Amino acid sequence: MLYLPGNNPNMLLRGHLFKPDGLIIDLEDSVSRHEKDAARILARDVLKRGEFGKCEVTVRINGTETDLWREDISFVVPQGVSGVRAPKVETPQAVKDLDEEISSVESKSGVQVGSTKIFCLLETALGVWNAYDIAKSSPRVTAIIPGGEDLAADLRTSRSKEGTELEWVRRMLIVAARAAGVDALDTVFPNISDGDGLRREAGFVKQLGFDGKSVIHPSQIPIIHEIYTPTDREIDTAQRIVAAAKEAAERGLGAVALDGRMIDAPVIRRAEFTLERAGQMGKSENRG
Amino acid sequence: MPVNAANRDIPTRIDGYGDTAGKLYEGPFARKPDARRSGGRIRASVPNGGSKVAGGIKDAISAAGIRSGMTISFHHHLRNGDYVVNQVIDACAEMGIRDLTIFPTALFGIHKNIIPHIKSGVVSRIMGSVNGPIGQLVSEGGMDTPVILRSHGGRPRAVISGEVHIDAAFIAAPAADRTGNISGRMGRSACGSIGYAFTDAEYADCVIAVTDNLQSYPISPISIPGIYVDFVAVCEKIGDPAGIVSGTTSVTKDPLRLLIAKYASSLIESSPYFMDGISFQTGAGGIPLAVTAFMKEAMRRKDIRASFGLGGITGYFVDLLKEGLVKKLMDVQSFDLDAVKSIACDSDHIEISADWYANPWNCGAAVNMLDVVILGATEVDVDFNANVNTEADGALLHGIGGHQDTAAGAKLTIIAQPLLRGRIPCVVDRVHTLTTPGQVVDAIVTEYGVTINPRRKDLMESWQEFNCGDDTPLVSIDELADRARGLSGSMEPVHTTDRIVGVVEWRDGTVIDVVRQLES
Amino acid sequence: MDASAIKVAQAGTVESMDCRVTIAESDCPMIIEISGISAARFKAAMQAKVADVLESLGASQDACLKVDVQDNGAIDVVLGARVEAAYLRFIGVYES
Repeated sequence: MLYLPGNNPNMLLRGHLFKPDGLIIDLEDSVSRHEKDAARILARDVLKRGEFGKCEVTVRINGTETDLWREDISFVVPQGVSGVRAPKVETPQAVKDLDEEISSVESKSGVQVGSTKIFCLLETALGVWNAYDIAKSSPRVTAIIPGGEDLAADLRTSRSKEGTELEWVRRMLIVAARAAGVDALDTVFPNISDGDGLRREAGFVKQLGFDGKSVIHPSQIPIIHEIYTPTDREIDTAQRIVAAAKEAAERGLGAVALDGRMIDAPVIRRAEFTLERAGQMGKSENRG
Repeated sequence: MPVNAANRDIPTRIDGYGDTAGKLYEGPFARKPDARRSGGRIRASVPNGGSKVAGGIKDAISAAGIRSGMTISFHHHLRNGDYVVNQVIDACAEMGIRDLTIFPTALFGIHKNIIPHIKSGVVSRIMGSVNGPIGQLVSEGGMDTPVILRSHGGRPRAVISGEVHIDAAFIAAPAADRTGNISGRMGRSACGSIGYAFTDAEYADCVIAVTDNLQSYPISPISIPGIYVDFVAVCEKIGDPAGIVSGTTSVTKDPLRLLIAKYASSLIESSPYFMDGISFQTGAGGIPLAVTAFMKEAMRRKDIRASFGLGGITGYFVDLLKEGLVKKLMDVQSFDLDAVKSIACDSDHIEISADWYANPWNCGAAVNMLDVVILGATEVDVDFNANVNTEADGALLHGIGGHQDTAAGAKLTIIAQPLLRGRIPCVVDRVHTLTTPGQVVDAIVTEYGVTINPRRKDLMESWQEFNCGDDTPLVSIDELADRARGLSGSMEPVHTTDRIVGVVEWRDGTVIDVVRQLES
Repeated sequence: MDASAIKVAQAGTVESMDCRVTIAESDCPMIIEISGISAARFKAAMQAKVADVLESLGASQDACLKVDVQDNGAIDVVLGARVEAAYLRFIGVYES
């Protein structure tokens, strides 16, 4: 998913052309304090226009510790975005506050209540520690994401090329996400000219189990796609799983076994995701 | 009003140009020559005739006998660093010479110095591309006779066939000796190839080399031999090196342009021409250079070597030559320092004339050997017609360059351009000015994907075969025009008067379109 | 009118595909000036868009405002957003 600076018309209008799976319109760090008003209006109007190709669109709002987030929500949620990315989430209560505010805006603006998902950015030690509870705090929560720079600072370290300081955080977030039944998405790789570094890091987080990774520059998209593109063997297995599931559904069976392994809903979803990655299925709700 | 084969209204008579009967564009390859070559005056020299150094520019002008009403020619290898055009016209003005027709291969911003001379009648006519301020002046009606625009191949054709007779050719010479042997390879104003000047040297009645670097006889290597040269004029500086060549050319970092370049490169890779021995021309623009970079990767991946690179040569092409990915370079204009250095020392880097490069009326121009060319355009239309001459506001600000010639010659002509420049759409229903007809344009590549001319079913098939999945989309031209309109809204027409300020010739000398004066 | 006391507000940038909209008090009915790369072919459409947005925000054609758009390729959706931001700043809904 590609971050787009919220006050930059060029990127807002053209970001989808680079074919990321998702766009994140950023109202937070890439917009200076005195441009927040203009960025909100621009983001609202660009969302209303709604030409984003096949991309899923989310908006990174300002944190619940600021006085900006409610107005951010009032501008973007009525446009029917897939979700909001909430920065610096530390407690389940923060998510509940967000949920309540979003619900109120949804019902006022005629958007189906509950349709706007929440992506939680865990950018402090406390947020990471509370990861599972945060992920379980609202049915809107669809993914948790570790922070980068802010988290490193809160851990009283800095970001290294190898990502040593985030290694445990990433492992923990995967466990929390899977335990809570939400996606785990990885933070951005900040050095846009280091393609090899990005490739290494993306390979690592994919192996940990992350469902995708955010990017800050179009040049990073093909690398993430390359890493997340399934191998022929993965595609073959996925095709057989989907076929078996389809057959089971037609015969009215709940669960079915393939090669001695039970195929249930998550396995099917994973297989569908694999095929979608490989460009062999219609777009589903998954992200990368 | 008569309509030519490209569906453009062309008056039967254009003031300052002449009758257009028999000169209407009939198709890209319709007009054939039926005559002998025309030529310059024959001169003789005597043994030990001594030095041709006439002194300064004014001395050379008087020695050459340049008078009011004559046609004098220039070449543009010194680009925006050229001092020769300004010095010659200033000298003519001071000497009381008026009513000159100037016949440059191109004029640049630096030549705005001649605007006062246009206004005072020293220069009464321009045949050649007019960039920047002079183009603006012309568009607003600042000249009494229309500018005549010819392509790089159309210009030598006009000279050789006698449509244009050059009374005196001024050749900016980065190096020359006292008998007028000329080279562009060395000296403080080195520019590499001086290919555009060759035909002028051969066909003018009188040839004057203007140099700031007089060397002992004979220099070597020699681009234009002294057998064609009447006088050598010496001046302090023929140009500003900073404006002559850029430092190093680098590939664009703009992600949008890179995306377009990637699509264009995929199109080339999908085409039947992408095999050992491919030849291509990519020029110096941001997108074409990036295409070259992507093609380099693809050539390495598939172990393919190109036979030659053509046209204006950059350091990027030189790298391909050095790495063996391209076997030869055929250079009509060296864009940067690396290209200048390369042509000076590498025998596989060949200097060619504009005639050799692109003239439709000779026994085989290099463009006819070209597989792929990547071009730009200010706008293209739903018939794949391209406009490279006028800007969105209708002002005549660009020359044709090799656009027509390479498009006509290459097997795969690609125009790669963002769909919008700001709000201005680059794909429209009908181009304001027609430079290159859609019959010789095969594909348009934008950030929305690849658009293939429907007459190239073969390319569409190879494209579909190459692309399983939707990685690089195939977009129809109508869809592209709709998208542009949807983004921009509908444009107001360009407001012009009936008066013709520019005539755009197709490379064979027929009139393909005219440019009209802007309403004030 | 005392020049130093004229109320002015601005929004937008002159980056590619953006525009800078300046709204100032004036002593005559609304003047909308468009300059920059799109003006040659889109002036009337852009003026109409500016007037529409201002009207929807409560500023009619005879409001004493001078609107200056310095364009670098803004399409309508961007132009509208910039006019709205500038006008809201102008009337002080937001600090500028």
